[in-house]
Amino acid sequence: MTKRTEIDRRTVLRGLGMSVALPLLEAMQPGLLFAAPTVKAPQRIAFLYVPNGILMQDWTPAEEGANFTLPATLKPLASYRDDLLVLTGLTCDKARPNGDGPGDHARAMSAFLTGCQPRKTAGANIKVGMSADQVAAEKIGKATKFASLEIGCEGGRQAGNCDSGYSCAYSSTISWRAESSPVAKEINPRLVFERLFSADGGKSASEYKKAAYKKSLLDFVAEDAKSLKGRLGASDQRKLDEYLSGVREIEQRLLRAEKDPDVKGVPGGYRAPTGLPKDRKEHLRLLADMLVLAFQVDLTRVATFVFANEGSNRPYREIGVSDGHHDLSHHRGKTEKQEKIQKINRFHVEQLAYLLGRLKSVKEGTGTLLDNCLLAYGSGNSDGNRHNHDNLPILLMGMGGGTVKPGRHVKYPRETPVTNLWLSMLDRAGATVASLGDSTGRLKGLEG
Amino acid sequence: MTAPTEARSLHDSRAVFALSALLFSFATTSRPAEPANKPTFTRDVAPLVAKYCARCHGAVKPKGGIALVKDADDVAVLKNRALWEKVADNLRSGDMPPEGAKRPTAAEMEVWSRWIDVLALSSNCTGPKDPGRVTIRRLNRVEYNNTIRDLVGVKFQPAKDFPADDVGYGFDNIGDVLSLPPLLMEKYLAAAEKIVDEAFKIPELRRRLMPRDGRERGAHYQNLKQFATRAWRRPATDEETRRLMRFVQLAREQGDNPTVGVKTAFQAVLASPHFLFRVELDGQPGVLATGGSPRKTPVADAPRLPLPPVAGAPGSAEPIDQYQLASRLSYFLWSSMPDDELFKLVREKKLREPGVIAAQVKRMLRDQKARALADNFASQWLNIRSLPTFSPDPKRFPAFNAELRQDMIRETEMFFLHVLREGCSILDFLDADYTFVNERLARHYGLSGVKGVSFRKVSVAGTPRGGVLTHASILAVTSNPTRTSPVKRGKWILENILGTPPPPPPPDVDELKEDGEAKGTLRQQMEMHRKNPTCASCHQRMDPLGFGFENFDAIGAWRTKDGGQQIDAGGVLPDGSAFKGPAELRKILLQKKDLFANCLTEKLLTYALGRGMERSDRCHVEAIVRKIAKEDYKLTGLIVEIVESDPFQKRRARGAPK
Repeated sequence: MTKRTEIDRRTVLRGLGMSVALPLLEAMQPGLLFAAPTVKAPQRIAFLYVPNGILMQDWTPAEEGANFTLPATLKPLASYRDDLLVLTGLTCDKARPNGDGPGDHARAMSAFLTGCQPRKTAGANIKVGMSADQVAAEKIGKATKFASLEIGCEGGRQAGNCDSGYSCAYSSTISWRAESSPVAKEINPRLVFERLFSADGGKSASEYKKAAYKKSLLDFVAEDAKSLKGRLGASDQRKLDEYLSGVREIEQRLLRAEKDPDVKGVPGGYRAPTGLPKDRKEHLRLLADMLVLAFQVDLTRVATFVFANEGSNRPYREIGVSDGHHDLSHHRGKTEKQEKIQKINRFHVEQLAYLLGRLKSVKEGTGTLLDNCLLAYGSGNSDGNRHNHDNLPILLMGMGGGTVKPGRHVKYPRETPVTNLWLSMLDRAGATVASLGDSTGRLKGLEG
Repeated sequence: MTAPTEARSLHDSRAVFALSALLFSFATTSRPAEPANKPTFTRDVAPLVAKYCARCHGAVKPKGGIALVKDADDVAVLKNRALWEKVADNLRSGDMPPEGAKRPTAAEMEVWSRWIDVLALSSNCTGPKDPGRVTIRRLNRVEYNNTIRDLVGVKFQPAKDFPADDVGYGFDNIGDVLSLPPLLMEKYLAAAEKIVDEAFKIPELRRRLMPRDGRERGAHYQNLKQFATRAWRRPATDEETRRLMRFVQLAREQGDNPTVGVKTAFQAVLASPHFLFRVELDGQPGVLATGGSPRKTPVADAPRLPLPPVAGAPGSAEPIDQYQLASRLSYFLWSSMPDDELFKLVREKKLREPGVIAAQVKRMLRDQKARALADNFASQWLNIRSLPTFSPDPKRFPAFNAELRQDMIRETEMFFLHVLREGCSILDFLDADYTFVNERLARHYGLSGVKGVSFRKVSVAGTPRGGVLTHASILAVTSNPTRTSPVKRGKWILENILGTPPPPPPPDVDELKEDGEAKGTLRQQMEMHRKNPTCASCHQRMDPLGFGFENFDAIGAWRTKDGGQQIDAGGVLPDGSAFKGPAELRKILLQKKDLFANCLTEKLLTYALGRGMERSDRCHVEAIVRKIAKEDYKLTGLIVEIVESDPFQKRRARGAPK
């Protein structure tokens, strides 16, 4: 960890500390009324992903129900034991080959939130399905400045093949806006910050004027795209659709800013992060801060947060692990490798604990921000050594506005689709849909 | 990669390699080799058609009008090749049999795939050839930066903070894979604003954008039209320019200085899909009828936008218009927009005159901007773009640091540019008696007499090094953080040099013990493993190639011992050729120059076109390789041949069958 980044984050933490001391919603955001007891707070959902599976023997609690003890890997969550559900038995069937041969990493990531079998292709016609977060973005995204937020520590891969004939888009993207449109994530905390708090609106005459120019510019380019689209073939048209939906999203943001010209300030004088930290702990925590800020000020209600891309072979020298994560995940039962894998698993869980701590430190109404969140954390691979996709490691955190009773370990029948959990989360976020990918219904037992 | 590559990924490795004792012949499309047990349609495939397809595609009322039960044998099938190639594509993509229907088992798919390969191998290359059709390409980050540099002249790199472009077929300029998420759209708008603001601050750049002075409408009109014409890489129409002028009008209505409107118009040009995408429109009606000879076609001008879409006649291949051709050329060689000279040739309709394009290629390669081919093509072909994220264990490799990493990349780039610019043969990549080093890298290589930080060409004759295979950059990206990986190195050679990638490991097969923790050397452990027949067939191809480079450690330094034991860098390839170390292995690879030429041609063509290779490209690739073989395999010759080939010059008309 370099000294510089350390100072950066401390500055940042001071910012957050202030926001705790001065509860934001009452003090700084008179326009928002979540604090008033009669108004229901918005429900947020987030999906957090870790690659290469988990060493399950140190993950799964021995006991079911409320009286469970946290196994070694989950120990860092001790302070949040009563804020989380450990869900075992869930399956991501579409991550399995189902006739497509190798490529479990690419499939695990792209099938995780979509419940669809990704088409095996290195480039042409990539296709999987719409992901749960994007379903939510479409349903409830209009209420906030950003329909959804996609963040993660690693961008797309820069060269070579990714996984056994699957395009790199599959193993680096968890969010799919449409079946052929992967949603890129922002990896630089500074850029996330700037994006979240850039002013689109404002009350002054010059701000109105600026918006007018921007709107006419958007009209112009949308017109270009529409007339061009009519002259193109099918696969070209898809690209123009992506263009147009991007334009539309920005237009909607402008309209929203017009209706509600109060620029949302940065809570508690939080200072912008300075860049892209090399240290993974620093990086994860800064991104976690961004997620908290976005939820806290209600800039979005939907997020995905990818701790590392699927198949990532990054060493974790921060915690003394020099071997690559993916190499280690194929531990073949060897104790020394298993210990290292467990260290990485636990390292990730420690950063999750940090995020939960931040969410809990923000007061909202009579409770905390975490009460009005549902966060899923897990992987589309179960045991990285076996590449199996049943019995996934999944945690669900938060209360979903009181609709979930945390503090338990719940076991589900084998082969219960993990998409059932996503449906249940979508319900609670106000984004109900009939089904998602291979879902077979809602996940029971979350209420206790 | 070619379609049969995809087919191989469906293969279970055991079956494929038990079947084919031939080392490389199976994998590549262009070397017709007959696997011992050649599947036939009548015996092997017809029963599968009956089992899985006939219910919908039978003789009576076949779905989609596609009846698959009429052709009875290989001869009939070959007459109906286009249809059966479509069947193969649908089968491979998993589109057919449709969801819910019974699908072939893995073993049956294996038979199918083998038969498809036979079908592909037996196709002949006479008659009209499909030039393919690329999906509209968004500028990737590098292209965006370079285009802005050449268009506006600003120094900063506006695309630095854009999300990473996804990679397909090994490259980040593939139309199908370059998506445009909303986040990127935001960045495009922000970048356009920043670029125009910056350019207006600098008098020289401002003059470039607005060469005509004055506040008159006419001056604004001309300035905007000129800018849009360059930015969109084809003449902006009057209608488009009038639309841009609305921004000037808007400024007036708002009581602002017209400059505010002009600036917004410039931003709109940069945010328009005409700038962000490399638009290739189908030609006008009538063009197709004369479609054969590019020089006679009247299609050289700008796409006339108000025209309705046109579908090509079946089987037609249209030459792309000259503006589009100029862009294909400049983005291939420079990763940027065409320059004034190219635009001038297009305006004068001279780009397709004999000898012009070859002369342009030579001119463009001499230009500084041709470094883009090293930065973008070579770095992705050779995978060294992964080097910046490679982080070897500092305890084991204390010599490795950021500077040395940079030097490694520099060496390979300079080597590539040397081969490109000095008229060298592509075979130099496999073996050469020279390389490029500075003092730091020379020390890493154990070469003496090189002082200072600047790079120079040095002889490596008589040393263990020669060609890119012994560059530290490549030796490092094919290693793990703590040790070398002969498997990765072997796989790398199969994929990037010989173009015969092994199929992925079958599912549920554990990775090899390669960590030196078990008994014996890494080599001994792996040899134990190769006794397992499941693994043997592929590892027999990969491992010896990798072991040939075991004298180079995970950061590419020379060594004679590993874990206290003497290194044995000898081996035997499945075709029986034996070698004692890296120098002899390189000589063997040099004899496989057809494979290498084929592989490099496919990679360059993929990069040049921005699409994956299709089955029909096999004939084009073969023709190119035949031509360059006569010209000593010069890299410049290869590039000229690619630029003059049909896939580069033409495209399949919309609606035309493949």
